[in-house]
Amino acid sequence: MVSEEEIQHVSKLMRIDIDDHKEYVEKVHMMIDYFDILDSAGVESEEISMPEISISDLREDEYIPFNDKLIEKLNHYKGTYVRAPKMSS
Amino acid sequence: MNLNISALDFVQEVKTGNISVEDFVAKTIERIQNVDDKLHAFLSVNEKSIDQARDIDKRIKSGDKVGDCFGMPISIKDNICIKDSKTTCASKMLENYVSPYDATVITKLKQQDAIFVGKVNMDEFAMGLTTEFSAYGPSKNPWNIEHVPGGSSGGSAVSVSAFECVASLGSDTGGSVRNPASFCSTVGYKPTYGLISRFGLISYANSIEQIGPLTRTVKDTAFMLNLISGLDPNDNTTIDNKNEDYLSGIEVGIEGKKIGIIKEMIGEGIDSEVLSATKDAISRLESLGATCEEISLDMVKYSVAAYYTITATEAGSNLARYDNLRYGYDFPLEGYEFNSYISKARKKFGPEVTRRMIIGGFVPSAGHAGKYFLKALKVKSKLTNEVNEAFKRVDLLVSPTVPVLPFKLGEKIDDPISLFLVDINTVTANLTGKPAISIPFAYSNGLPIGIQLMADSSQDKLLLQAAYALEQTVTLPEVPI
Repeated sequence: MVSEEEIQHVSKLMRIDIDDHKEYVEKVHMMIDYFDILDSAGVESEEISMPEISISDLREDEYIPFNDKLIEKLNHYKGTYVRAPKMSS
Repeated sequence: MNLNISALDFVQEVKTGNISVEDFVAKTIERIQNVDDKLHAFLSVNEKSIDQARDIDKRIKSGDKVGDCFGMPISIKDNICIKDSKTTCASKMLENYVSPYDATVITKLKQQDAIFVGKVNMDEFAMGLTTEFSAYGPSKNPWNIEHVPGGSSGGSAVSVSAFECVASLGSDTGGSVRNPASFCSTVGYKPTYGLISRFGLISYANSIEQIGPLTRTVKDTAFMLNLISGLDPNDNTTIDNKNEDYLSGIEVGIEGKKIGIIKEMIGEGIDSEVLSATKDAISRLESLGATCEEISLDMVKYSVAAYYTITATEAGSNLARYDNLRYGYDFPLEGYEFNSYISKARKKFGPEVTRRMIIGGFVPSAGHAGKYFLKALKVKSKLTNEVNEAFKRVDLLVSPTVPVLPFKLGEKIDDPISLFLVDINTVTANLTGKPAISIPFAYSNGLPIGIQLMADSSQDKLLLQAAYALEQTVTLPEVPI
């Protein structure tokens, strides 16, 4: 069981504003509680398998210019920089 | 002119000069104008379609080389990028996003002279299975507009089912092609992981999702696969299928094949009509010369929890890019600090996307990863082992595509857990990377029921042969719209 406070804390870390507690925190709570079923799967000793791709199969790590004008599609930019809000108030 | 023809018949009719591409595409656009107010499959319609069709007619007349699609009108799920056109993911966050490049599947279809008649509706960022989570309103099931069309590629299924196009491309992360295909009575295909490039598909859960075709017939799906599958240097997860021809030999039948009936997918929670259709499908497969036996996959019970844990985690990471600085809508920076700006801007995400991002932050976080994310990955591994073991004994697996009939709009939207369980038969193919197909099979009270077949990795050709054989045993009514 997780607490609603924990969910709210994670939401803040994910930079998500919650204004409707019922719509977000309560439903997320229900969903995460459902995941408790994983506890009875008996997979503790199972190995996690991951697909592997060898480095020789990766494409060349080279710079391919795309489109200099792309930045002009942004709402906020200056020269070749993306404009962002200041980091602290 | 009859819009209800298969992709292969369309190509044949154009080749033989029985129909002009311009007439067919114009009629298709007219059809969209006539029925889409009611169905809401389309988010945008390509106004240049008819000009493009006229151009192809000209090239045919003058004997120029024309690609294999011969101007076939295709709809594209709105999370697949077409250069210089809007790709919204059915989200307000990307309301004005114009893609600067083509997805690989689009490049390939353009080379074959397909015409993209429009971009179609979906659940926002493909998170959902009814299209009710689209920020632009749900699509309706053409078989009964009070019912959901399934999702997330709901617009794709509706547009194929209601003759608003000849074929469509959707994406399938946990059943998002097969579920709406089943609910709208079309064929829906989720290929072996890596068979089709995901370059230009807006990411949701990269490790398990695939682009897949929705078509009227199994042969049309094979035809589409021939055009869009194969290695792509822009997607390192693609596999070399040696230019396999999925159409050749599709009629060989399934005499002597062994088919496993997945016990966990015909038990608790299944609608009685869906169960009897599945039994009927099994007996038809047997009458085609296959032998069927029950097979148990213990991990299926945990598959939906594992699926949501893994997809939410990947979504939490993928959707972190939507900070409204590089993509997004016009929202002034002034007066905000960095983090509060992003939090505010993200209010444009709909409720389901927001919930999954919160879950995606929670389940892999320090202190919780062992209980949720790592356990989900272990379930995925064990399920894969179980399925691999099953394919040592049988050639194919069968189940209903969805355990329930298409339900009413609004019926399950407030109950996330009952929505979870609608995915129970489809997520296994995604978690294990196996190919799976939904074939239109039966009706109950005018609502479609699809049957799912699954095969081992890279056995897409065998899967299509079996699907074709089953399809030939079925005669279905025409959509009542």
